[in-house]
Amino acid sequence: MSRYLIGRIGQAVIVLWAAFTVSFILLQALPGDAILIKFLNPELGLGPEQIADIRASYAVDTPIWTQYAHSLGNFLTGNFGYSVHAGVPVSHVLLANLPSTLRLATFGFLIAALLAVAISFLSTLIGFSWIRAVIQSLPALFISVPVFWLGIMLIQIFSFQLKLIPVINPGEWEALILPVAALALPISAPLAQVLMRNIDHVLTEPFVAVARAKGATRSWVLWRHVTRNALLPTLTIAGILFGELLAGAVVTEAVFGLNGIGSVTQQAVGNQDIAVLQAIVVFSATAFVIINLVVDLLYPVFDPRLRSKREASA
Amino acid sequence: MSLNLRFRTKSGLTALATASLLAGFAGAATTVLAASQPDKPVIGGTLVYLDQQAHTNLYPPAGGFYPNGGVLNQITDKLTHQNPETLEIEPWIAESWTVNADATEYTFKIRPGVTFSDGTPLDANAVAKNYDIFGLGNKALKLPVSEVINNYDRSEVIGARTVKFYFKKPSPGFLQGTSVIGSGLVSLATLSLSYEELGDATKIIGSGPFVVTGEKLGRELTLAARKDYNWGPAKLAHQGRAYLDAIKIIVTPEDSVRIGALLAGQADYIRQIQAYDEKQVEAQAYQIYAPSTRGVNNSVVFRPDNPLVSDVRVRRALLNATNADEIVTTLFSSNYPKATSIIAKTAQGYVDLSSKLTYDVAKAKTLLDEAGWRVGTNGIRQKDGQQLVLAAYESPPQPQNKETLQLVAQQWGKVGVKLNVLAGDAGSKTVDSLDPLKTAVAPGMVGRADPDVIKSQYYPTNRNVLLQKGGNSDKVKTFLDDKLNTLLDNLASEPDRAKRLAIVGDVQSYVLDQAYVIPIFEEPQAFAVAPYVKGVAFEAVGRPSFYNVWLAPR
Repeated sequence: MSRYLIGRIGQAVIVLWAAFTVSFILLQALPGDAILIKFLNPELGLGPEQIADIRASYAVDTPIWTQYAHSLGNFLTGNFGYSVHAGVPVSHVLLANLPSTLRLATFGFLIAALLAVAISFLSTLIGFSWIRAVIQSLPALFISVPVFWLGIMLIQIFSFQLKLIPVINPGEWEALILPVAALALPISAPLAQVLMRNIDHVLTEPFVAVARAKGATRSWVLWRHVTRNALLPTLTIAGILFGELLAGAVVTEAVFGLNGIGSVTQQAVGNQDIAVLQAIVVFSATAFVIINLVVDLLYPVFDPRLRSKREASA
Repeated sequence: MSLNLRFRTKSGLTALATASLLAGFAGAATTVLAASQPDKPVIGGTLVYLDQQAHTNLYPPAGGFYPNGGVLNQITDKLTHQNPETLEIEPWIAESWTVNADATEYTFKIRPGVTFSDGTPLDANAVAKNYDIFGLGNKALKLPVSEVINNYDRSEVIGARTVKFYFKKPSPGFLQGTSVIGSGLVSLATLSLSYEELGDATKIIGSGPFVVTGEKLGRELTLAARKDYNWGPAKLAHQGRAYLDAIKIIVTPEDSVRIGALLAGQADYIRQIQAYDEKQVEAQAYQIYAPSTRGVNNSVVFRPDNPLVSDVRVRRALLNATNADEIVTTLFSSNYPKATSIIAKTAQGYVDLSSKLTYDVAKAKTLLDEAGWRVGTNGIRQKDGQQLVLAAYESPPQPQNKETLQLVAQQWGKVGVKLNVLAGDAGSKTVDSLDPLKTAVAPGMVGRADPDVIKSQYYPTNRNVLLQKGGNSDKVKTFLDDKLNTLLDNLASEPDRAKRLAIVGDVQSYVLDQAYVIPIFEEPQAFAVAPYVKGVAFEAVGRPSFYNVWLAPR
């Protein structure tokens, strides 16, 4: 087991290094940079010499390899650099915005998971075929709804028409309701689709017929026998959906005017604030790697067969 | 309100008339009746103000950007106050002033007892230190020179309440320059910070009627009234503290969310409302305010360094091919008057040059033919194997700029000229916009209620919209218009008012004769305000002032 873990961590380090390097190259390849964008603003009326001075003070014109070695070294020591646009260290920007995005993403994911389970169970348990058809078509609907449109519709209906939840100046938890809904719906869809398919598949297995023959009720079989088996592929999807969660947060935070990593990303892209983008890429890659590692480690918990296989190979 | 505040009162008047009829049922009409008693302000309450964009940097000379100006106007005071109706310069922090005959020496007497919100005095020394930085910049702190101050030399403190400024050359625009957003006075502590640190609003210590008490960077700003504020502009009827207790400035980028929140009662005052949304706002008896920005009109600007548009006949042809009437009626409302010169009707020194701005497709075609551009098989004009294809980047802060440029592109298409409207990322846009070969055309506007604004727009070392050699772009090969620059220099240094205004007229004619720009419309700043918000006021170029605002009972 520990060899397996060490192997996985080694892979993770390589993935992170690759994410850092690729994003560094891509960001450098873009035309212009944050300093141009910020200081060439005609409103400031800076002359060419003044701009040259500022560029020199940010060392943006040093050779690319020097910059690469420098920023990689800084990243390794936990120094993410300075945000040209916001005028504060990048670590400040991340720390200030991480909690709200984490909260949004966590709740968004939990609600999405609950919704997916509810849809899959209902679609299996409900007797009326037409209701089942309606429920089964929900994921296809959810997945095709763009997050920004959903966000604006939720605001228009629940905030402006029904006046249930304010979007301007809401309370701390009140502020989460609509954004979480906007984020959760589209993410619940692929989860529900995979879960429904797997439940259908597992229901055809012989052991289900055996359990039913022994007198277990339909819901008991579903809960005790089918779910555990159907959950494994869903877990893999859940790990991958993390990326979608981050992308969704960018849009959701922009529509609802929330603070967070999503809105920081949006602003950093707009201003080509490379240090911030670089940190966000590495942060996201780290989170992605960790989540997928956790998912991998969870497999044996749900499936004892994997446990024995890994132990045998270790 | 003022002549220049073209807000529409039609629905408000109807409501008032109805209210008078229903006077017996006063209870039902309190809100409307309160509108007829504007002289009884209520103290207290929090105003929720939604801005489309977050402020960027609050170094006062960077206050030209509207979100910055919206904050700075509440938290800083200026030496002088420009009356938004008469455009006269009136006392504010300066009680009085004298100017020598050739406008090279200005002496200001400072009002006693004014303090910054950190408790330090706003005296002659503080004023001198502010202007030394605004006038000369500070390299170590990366603070640039203010674009409203020309020819600044030095300051001299003559006693605690008297300060004198010296200029290398006449600087007739300086007095007005002391009244603009970009000349907001800040404490010495703020002046000692570097440019990067001034993005944090809580670090901007001014002497204004409001103080920044909280900031969520890029999202929200809370301002609280200063209870001891007692130095508003001397000629205002309202003196003493601001009526409001607090202001919440919330960044809400989505247009539909800003308007929806206003109409749903979640916000009181919003900036940037598009012309196509005006009707639904007015339908609910909310008011649209569209104060003029009184500066250089919203225009399409040429970069003559690009050989495609270096020939004046080509530029003139495109000017004649542009139908500003169609743009204004299709995309905008009566709050966006069609341009009749390069500057707004309400700008100082304006001359009506609509005769030079005629829409004439036949003339445009003839001019292009004369210039040697013949229509090719694909419908696009060609000369020496080159096609007349131009490009411009849209400018998102300008109202419906993309749509405006697309309509211009359609109009130019009729005379065989192709205009590509680009929407690139910020980086490509910044780099390409400085390269005349990549962007032969650019949208442009700037607001300021002094003729110096024209110099700001065209002078190579200022905004340099025409991209002349010697400015902010190293991509320009040869284009330099000495005649224009001489005119602009004279404009910025002619001490005699009448002569100066005559130069303003000359510049307008010259720029249009050369067809350097195609003026489209006079750009307002459009706001929508709830009916219970009273005392709405703007400084001379349309930034809101909340000092006089109060909330009537709803």
